Amino acid sequence: MKTHSIKLSIAQIKPEPSDLKHNLKQHLRYIKTAKKEGSGLVIFPELSLTGYFLKDSIYDVAINLKDESKNIIHDLLPESNNISVIAGFVEVDDDYNFYNSSLCMSGGRILNVHRKVYLPTYGMFEEMRYFKAGNGFNVFGISGITSAILTCEDAWHLSSSYIAVNKGAKLIIINSASPARGIESGSEKFSSIEMWERLLSVIAFYYKSYVIYANRVGFEDGIGFAGGSCIFSPDGNKEYHLEYLDEGLLSAKLNISLLKNERFKTPLLRDENLSLTVKELESIISTKN
Amino acid sequence: MLHNNLPEINSTNFGIINKLLTGFIKEEILRAGLNKVVLGLSGGVDSAVVSYLAASALGNKNVTAVLMPYKTSSPKSLEDGLKVVGALRIKHFVIDISRQIDDYFAKDAGGDSDGAGAGENGLKVRIGNKMARERMSILYDLSYKLGSLVLGTSNKSELLLGYGTIYGDMASAVNPIGDIYKTQIHQLAGFLNIPKLIVKKAPSADLWIDQTDEKELGFTYKEADNIMFLLVDKMYKPETVSSLGYDENLVSLIYGKIKRSQYKRRMPLIAKVSQRTINIDFRYLRDWA
Repeated sequence: MKTHSIKLSIAQIKPEPSDLKHNLKQHLRYIKTAKKEGSGLVIFPELSLTGYFLKDSIYDVAINLKDESKNIIHDLLPESNNISVIAGFVEVDDDYNFYNSSLCMSGGRILNVHRKVYLPTYGMFEEMRYFKAGNGFNVFGISGITSAILTCEDAWHLSSSYIAVNKGAKLIIINSASPARGIESGSEKFSSIEMWERLLSVIAFYYKSYVIYANRVGFEDGIGFAGGSCIFSPDGNKEYHLEYLDEGLLSAKLNISLLKNERFKTPLLRDENLSLTVKELESIISTKN
Repeated sequence: MLHNNLPEINSTNFGIINKLLTGFIKEEILRAGLNKVVLGLSGGVDSAVVSYLAASALGNKNVTAVLMPYKTSSPKSLEDGLKVVGALRIKHFVIDISRQIDDYFAKDAGGDSDGAGAGENGLKVRIGNKMARERMSILYDLSYKLGSLVLGTSNKSELLLGYGTIYGDMASAVNPIGDIYKTQIHQLAGFLNIPKLIVKKAPSADLWIDQTDEKELGFTYKEADNIMFLLVDKMYKPETVSSLGYDENLVSLIYGKIKRSQYKRRMPLIAKVSQRTINIDFRYLRDWA
């Protein structure tokens, strides 16, 4: 059998808050490099086109995908002719609801839009103040490989990746804007990075998938984003990674056929009892109500 | 087990912390359209640490230190400050502030007063505050003259305890050490190759003869930092902190200081009149544009 593989790139960029033109230029530059490296997919972090802690400027940078007047998505689409591109932006719908969205474009058209479901609104985060929550975890094909996008906090809810893999996702793409925070005496990493890497390893190993983590870098009002974008293999190991806090591009070829081997040896997904889960969830919901 | 001790900055985590702090200085200064900084250098460990970080982030040619002794300042302070200047080969000015301070108090505006600030001790505090604000005023003047931003040198311990002068030493454009406790500043200093004498000497605002922080505060930074770590970083209630073995009176003294000094850490209150009020519901990053 022909080996099924995909070469992909993660663009660990430094978006400038609310500066769409600047961010678009960065995207174009990285897409060009990813193409040169032979990648079929390039993944940018959460809200890569707009910046993250936008507060009231969310109102100014939002884009309605149905809007025909010129916007940066129109500039980006033609660049996806020979490569799929996943980028983050603020979406506004016809009813003027705002979403923390990530779109995947390919062949000059929009393939999929993921609206972030779990909007952190605690500590330094205030997403629910501005955004409406998305309502599902869609899977879609990238170069024939079933994939799902989870945006940052989405991944912290293990139910999200559970849904995605059971829908057939082999690539779990997690784009994020995760601030570096917390120091520990015994760790060379920020506490937030430690937690992320443990989580990614768990998702990759127990859901027998490739986990691709695209985090951003740069500072917004003193808050530094951690970077450390990486790829975890279905054996739970971190196979490729970028530096913490530095801008960069990572390109890697993933052998999807390896999942056959992994899922045969450890058939957790085969044995997953979805009906049992549904039954239990329904009982939990009825008890809670 | 929960980690209930103030994390130590050591050889394991120094690398990532140093990278974050120098990255912060570089990016937040460049974003303002400048590449230079000016800071007050006291001869103490905090401003030494900031000088070392700034020189490493921006290059020593882009850092200007200002040493601003008053006639009662310890000559040792100036000497130690000059050691930092010499080691880093940064530009510096020595500006004696005795005349303007003494001139002001010779005339003593406001005349006799029976206010809270009257009397011998009140005068001592007023002179100390005036000195801190005079230094701020000089730094902001030079900031304009040199096209440099003012780097802050207040650490997290002072900021939380309110042990600083509002619009004086607490004022700055950008502060790289405001989230690092004094105990950790000493540890950080050890890895930055700051002269040992500066790291080891007793912390002092040097606003009057023989003043030391710990004598004035009535407790040591080591004690206070552990307690503040639990109260602030861990968000434990004071009674939880004392249940962990810390002196109840000290915990309550420190908690009181943190609460009473909240005003020093915020912008002035604005009476809300309109539909959209600065910093209340007119909400943007400082890095907005």
